Amino acid sequence: MRRLLTFALATLLSVGAAQADRLDDIKKAGVLRVATFDSNPPFGFVDPNTKQLAGLDVDYAQAIADKIGVTLELRPTNPANRIPLLTSGKVDLVLANFTITEERAKQLDFSIPYFASGQQFLAKKGTLTSPDQLNGLRIGADKGTTNEIVLRRDFPKATVVAFDDTPFAFAALRNGNVQAITQDGPKLVGLLAKVPDKQNYEVPAFSISNDYIGVGIPKGETRLRDVVNETLRELEASGKAAAIYDRWFGPKSDQPLPRLFRIGDHS
Amino acid sequence: MNVSVITDNLGYLLAGAWPDAPVGGLMLTMILSVASGLASALLGLVLGIALAMSGDRTRRALTLGLGLFRAVPIVMLIFWSYFLLPVLFGFAIPETGTVVTALSLVGGAYLSYAVAAGIESIGRGQWEAGLALGFGRWQVLRVIILPRALPAMAPSFVNQWTVLIKDTALAYVIGVPELSFVATQVNNRAMVYPAEIFLFVGAVYGCLCLLVDWLAALVARQRSLPRAGRA
Repeated sequence: MRRLLTFALATLLSVGAAQADRLDDIKKAGVLRVATFDSNPPFGFVDPNTKQLAGLDVDYAQAIADKIGVTLELRPTNPANRIPLLTSGKVDLVLANFTITEERAKQLDFSIPYFASGQQFLAKKGTLTSPDQLNGLRIGADKGTTNEIVLRRDFPKATVVAFDDTPFAFAALRNGNVQAITQDGPKLVGLLAKVPDKQNYEVPAFSISNDYIGVGIPKGETRLRDVVNETLRELEASGKAAAIYDRWFGPKSDQPLPRLFRIGDHS
Repeated sequence: MNVSVITDNLGYLLAGAWPDAPVGGLMLTMILSVASGLASALLGLVLGIALAMSGDRTRRALTLGLGLFRAVPIVMLIFWSYFLLPVLFGFAIPETGTVVTALSLVGGAYLSYAVAAGIESIGRGQWEAGLALGFGRWQVLRVIILPRALPAMAPSFVNQWTVLIKDTALAYVIGVPELSFVATQVNNRAMVYPAEIFLFVGAVYGCLCLLVDWLAALVARQRSLPRAGRA
């Protein structure tokens, strides 16, 4: 239903899309409106101390706003409404752990990727060791994510159960409703770090896809896209991209992971 | 059970990021409930009277319009009015306004049938007696019919209000930070305590609905109206 809605909306809105250049509008307004996750640590979540949105995506959004020279205004979003927010012009950019796919690229443009992750699994120890086993398992996924789509497409015999978000999927894993859950590897590592009885669970060492994460940009706004891409390349060159990564995935973070992907490795 | 996940986040669950940002959480849920409760009662009353008093043709048109609002799921109505109205008419309603409008329209549509039924339940004899005394139709309605019909409608109003309180949770679809929305944020940060968080949220909604019930009973006792049923 969500996909149908998104599609219907995108079709309707593309008819009435504004012709003016979005970058000029942003500069004129002095505000860059960005949709970011509020429930997806460490990419976008509500900081318990400041009660404001924070995370890796927020840091990148701030860098883009600084580059354009305007203030940043954040809108909380979720997988269900991030595309409508962009296509209806409620926001200028989407930085919400947004996997670049051909399907989505029909409705919007993407920047070059600024993050990469593989789709992995979390299961009770000893249940899952290789991808061959997936076809016989009940697996929990987050509704509306590429994780769900890839799993259904590549492992048609697996029983996929879609949950509203990762905590519900994990609760189902704990209760035995599903035998594994799937998400981006970095997120599962972060989740595992918070589980009280973490010795009973593991993230098996294989992934079933390589996802590239990009900034969602309204279709046809080439000047805006150029600025975003330029910002991302500059952040990499100056070492700031590595600093942002370290803040959320570095050795002192909750989910230490080596940085294997650099901006510009993949276009 | 990990109670600290609730106590540590209590301020955020009750009022959102306020005072650094507009009020959210339980406070916003209550604001949305009260605003849409009042607006839906007013709409229901006006439209219900219109339904009961109008001629055949107006009545048919009204029934069609009201039927539409009763038929569309509220979550769709919120979604479409938020994303589509700006494109069609060139003006944008703020998020909270969209939610209150959608809830009021749907709640008002339901209530209007209860109001019309209440008015129609008063016997023809009452109308005829009023008219015979020289009152006009609207005077009969105001002086004789409504004072008798309104008390009978009270349970329907209370039912609709408790439904509205729970429906405010649908505001999540356009990112309005009411109680269940901020609870989802906390849940996704804590990751491993969904049972604790949503038991708490469920209990809070339960208390809100009981509060409406209790208030209605209080008013009913004072004015010796029939006691409202529980939703």
